[in-house]
Parts: sequence; structure tokens; C-alpha cells
Amino acid sequence: MLPDLTQYLENIRSDARLGYSDDTGVMSELEAHIEDKLQELTEAGLTEEEAVRTCLSQMGNTRSIARQIYEAYSQGTWKQAILASMPHFLFGLLFALNWWQYPGWLSIVLVLIIATTAYGWYHGKPAWVFSWLGYSMLPVVVVGLMLLYLPRGWSLLALPIYFPLALWWLIHVIIMTTKRDWLFSSLMLLPVPIVIGWFLAISPSGKFTEDSLERIYYFAPWIGLSFMALALTISVFIRLRQRWLRVGLLAASGLATLSLIVYYATGRLNSLAFLGPVMVEWGVLLFPLLLERRFRNSRIRSLRRGNTHGTSIIPTA
Amino acid sequence: MEPKRELFKGSSNSLLLCLLEQQSMYGYQIVKELEVRSQGYFKFKEGTLYPALHRLEKSGLISSQWQLVPNGRQRRYYYITAKGQTKLAMERTQWLDFFTAVTLVLQPQKSRI
Repeated sequence: MLPDLTQYLENIRSDARLGYSDDTGVMSELEAHIEDKLQELTEAGLTEEEAVRTCLSQMGNTRSIARQIYEAYSQGTWKQAILASMPHFLFGLLFALNWWQYPGWLSIVLVLIIATTAYGWYHGKPAWVFSWLGYSMLPVVVVGLMLLYLPRGWSLLALPIYFPLALWWLIHVIIMTTKRDWLFSSLMLLPVPIVIGWFLAISPSGKFTEDSLERIYYFAPWIGLSFMALALTISVFIRLRQRWLRVGLLAASGLATLSLIVYYATGRLNSLAFLGPVMVEWGVLLFPLLLERRFRNSRIRSLRRGNTHGTSIIPTA
Repeated sequence: MEPKRELFKGSSNSLLLCLLEQQSMYGYQIVKELEVRSQGYFKFKEGTLYPALHRLEKSGLISSQWQLVPNGRQRRYYYITAKGQTKLAMERTQWLDFFTAVTLVLQPQKSRI
């Protein structure tokens, strides 16, 4: 396929952000349409260059087509919405019912999270899997924190090995998710500023002490409530079609939940403790977006360099 | 605002269902058929046809199947479903009622004849 057409289809593909199973069919169909159109135009006497120009202008703007394709495929079913909100709901339940102190309940929730994430990840990465994926990173963070409390010698031995490995894994997951859609990375990382906010609320000094444990008991209903609010946000997110509404929802809900945390922890909102989690929230929203832009630019550059062989980029259905 | 575009947006689902009621078709064929049957009146950005077809498919009003055609290419053929036929019958009645009412207002003499 000609470079202009390849670029045209690639622009639609990257803006439509479909899962692999839908992507192949949709792009093959558009490619088939373009081939028919070009054949008709060249048979009518147009040169190849004129035919391509006419074809692309009659096909329409890539952004508009991609947006409409996105909206046709983005809305999840109610079942998917419930499934996506389930990890936040379970996490909220652990605190609302004070089950967080029982290793049995913690283990059940942990196994459920890891098993569901693995199932979704290896079955086409549907939208609902990304909220589970965020929680599956929690054990990695918890083990890292526990290593900090080991006796000094052990801690020095474990940290240089564990932290680079954990960081590599975390970045790898974020990159893989961002390649699918940056908004799913933000969705996955959404609990991070909330967890940081509650951690600062229960351990203002940054160290986990016996006082922190008492404060968890005190804040537990509110911790539960904040994760229940997150569960509601995610179910609405899955049901929404429009992308701008989804972005707005994540930003607004993150900010509202952080305000709730800081207000209950400090009694006011104009504190530095509020600024920190808010900055993390903006990072959670903007970092995946910037990362995706970077991937997209490098993909376009490689297409421009490499697509001179006249081959199709679209796999056949 | 372009009235023709707005009118087309409001009626595109009915038009697509109506075309598919007569025979199963693939995207490019639908564009050509619509152009011929409307005597060139309905011209739109062709790439936007597919999101419209996929929305109808997601709603269960049409279904699709890939087929290999004699020239060796793959085509995705769309078919109207039973749910789609019911919906079309309903929309056809609504459109005809609307059309009659609009004609009565815009061309009173003609409608009396």
C-alpha cells in the first residue's frame, strides 16, 4: 500500500485505540474499501496520485472517523462495568468492614486479584482488566515496604536486587498498557494518589508506627468510602462512550476523593499535604498521555522510514 | 449548521437498515447503492459509514460475516437481523407519518389534491 494510505490508516488505528480482536477486522475493512475506491478511480482515468488524493478526501478526516469508531466500540456492558469496579469495591469492603486486619481475608482478595488479572491479561486485555491490574501491583509495593523494615544488613542486601526488578516490572506493565491506550494506564494508576493520600494521613511522619495502626482503625470507614467512590467512578467510566467525558470523569473523581481524604485527615484543604497527592494525580493522568505521544511519534517516524516496499500494514482478517 | 447533513444523520440508521433489508452488502457496495438509489443526493464521507455499521451491529440490528470473493479479496458482508427488521418497520412508519405531516404543512394545495 502507498505511504500516504498507510499513514492514513495508521492514524485511524492509533486514534481509534481498539483491542486487537476488533482492530484487525475494522482496519481490514477500511483497507478493502480504499482498494475498491482506488480501483474505481484509476479505471475512470485518474493517475495514481490523483486517485489517492481523491480517495482520501472522500473517505474523510482520520480524527473524525477514529473518534466515531472509538465511540462505537468503547462502551462496555453492565457486566463489564461491575467487573471493572469489583477490585475497588473489594478493597473498600476490606476497610469498611475492618477485614483488613485478618490475613485470611487479605489472602483471598489478593489471590482473587492476581487470578482475575492474569485471566483478563491473557484473554485480549479487555477494558475491565486494567483496574484489577493496578491492584495486582500492590503486593510488589507492600513487599518493597516490608524489606525496608528488615534488619539493616538484610535490608542492604535485598534492596539493590528487589527495587530495580520491581521498578522494571512496573514500568514494563505501564508501557504495555499505554501502548493499548494511555487512558487505561491512568485508570490502572488511579488508586495510587489515593493510597498515598491515606498513607500520609495515617503516618504523617512517613513511618509506619503503632499510632498509624490506631489511625487506620479511626479512618477505616472513610478509607472504605473513598474506594467505594472509586468503584462507582470506574463503572461509570466503562459505560461512557465519549473519550473526553472519560478523561474528565477520572480527573474530577480523583480530585474529589483526594479532597475528601485531606479534609478528613487535616480538617482543611489549603495544606501542603493536599498538594502532594494532587501532583501525583496529575502525574497519573499526564505521564501515560506523554508516553503514548512518544510511542506514536516513533511509530510514525519508523513508518515513514520503512514503508517504501509497497506492503500492507494491515493484517488480513 | 447544514440541514441536509443533519437530516442525513437523523435518518442514516433507517437508510442502512432499508438497504440491507433487500440484500446483504459490504461497505463499498452500500455507498454505491445509496448514491444510485438517492440519485446522488446522499453523499457523505465514506469512512464514517463503518462506525455507523458497527454501532448497528453492536445494537444487534445487523450482523456481519467475512467472505472470500472471486477476485481473492475478503469482504465483510452485513445482514439485517430480526430485531433490525422490527426496528426498520417501526422507523418506516414513523418516517412516513412525519413525511405526510411535513407535506401537509409545506404544500397544502398539493396534499389536498
